Amino acid sequence: MMLLAKVAAGLCGTLVLAGAYTFHEGVMRVDEDHGDGGHVHVWVPAAIVPFAIGVVPRHHLEHAAVQMGPWLPTLRVVAKELEKYPEAALVEVRDSRQHVRIGTHRGSLLIDVDAPGENVHVACPLVMVMDVASALEADAPGA
Amino acid sequence: MTRSRSSIKKIALVSATLLLLSPLASLAALPSGQASTNSASSQAPSAGERWLHVRVTNPDSKDETVRVNVPLEMAEKVLPTINRDKLQHGKVKIDQIDSQGVDLRALVEAVRSSRDGEFVTVQNRDSDVRVAKQNGYLFVHVYDKSHSKKSQVEVKVPMKVVDALFSTGKDELDLVAGLHALSSQGDTELVTVKDHENTVRVWLDSKNISE
Repeated sequence: MMLLAKVAAGLCGTLVLAGAYTFHEGVMRVDEDHGDGGHVHVWVPAAIVPFAIGVVPRHHLEHAAVQMGPWLPTLRVVAKELEKYPEAALVEVRDSRQHVRIGTHRGSLLIDVDAPGENVHVACPLVMVMDVASALEADAPGA
Repeated sequence: MTRSRSSIKKIALVSATLLLLSPLASLAALPSGQASTNSASSQAPSAGERWLHVRVTNPDSKDETVRVNVPLEMAEKVLPTINRDKLQHGKVKIDQIDSQGVDLRALVEAVRSSRDGEFVTVQNRDSDVRVAKQNGYLFVHVYDKSHSKKSQVEVKVPMKVVDALFSTGKDELDLVAGLHALSSQGDTELVTVKDHENTVRVWLDSKNISE
């Protein structure tokens, strides 16, 4: 009985540590609601994204790095600098039909688009943006 | 002894559960569709933070607005990373600006070394143009009367910023130096454009939101 309790406690501890590590960088969220009834909801712990990049075939990463190449240093610096402004309203565009907001909240970059027939909400931890930009920069041809 | 062990285990389990659930609690506090664009959710800026604000409004339609708030420090760091076309390492080549044969550098030097006063005043049927230097600021005022609905442009640039912009090589403008000089300025209105469709305001202050 005692042994079982110890195993259970060990498992719990491992789960706690794994959970805490997995979520310590926050969660990347993408929520899309389309007018035709379609929905896309993706929640991914930010900490696992760099690991996921590690298992993506190299040629796909190189392609992404080439496409984004000139903007990767900008992306990395923007994310790094935005970390200093965890609560900021950066851009807001509104007209009678659409509303677009870009800002930061609790260290995540938030992009919200509310338009007729389409609502998109993205929350992306800035740490993750930096990690991804750095990973893609490292995979860029000639890096 | 057994009782105290049992209590310790319970405490450990409860703590573990709380730790495990704490990230979810923070998630719960982040409802979708709430990019922090309202003043209530914006954090008070730290001392010395300078923000450049741009606001475009349409007086006829209260629904149409564009608001951009950029921390100057961030702009200073980000600009040098953008190397596209005219912009390279935070500098813009002057020869690529359509200056129509005017030696901008000589013009700025002349303005800088002269006393406060009005340099250009043009008044005709179509427009009023006024360029002046006063109390360390360069003012440009254009009032276009040619259209049925008038338009007006007011630009107020600190001379320190103008100096910083031209502080680099002969044929380029140093935008990063200009931003750096701007960050040492107090709260100030930089550009106001009003026409029959839109009102554009560009200003500098220490608030991270635009009213």
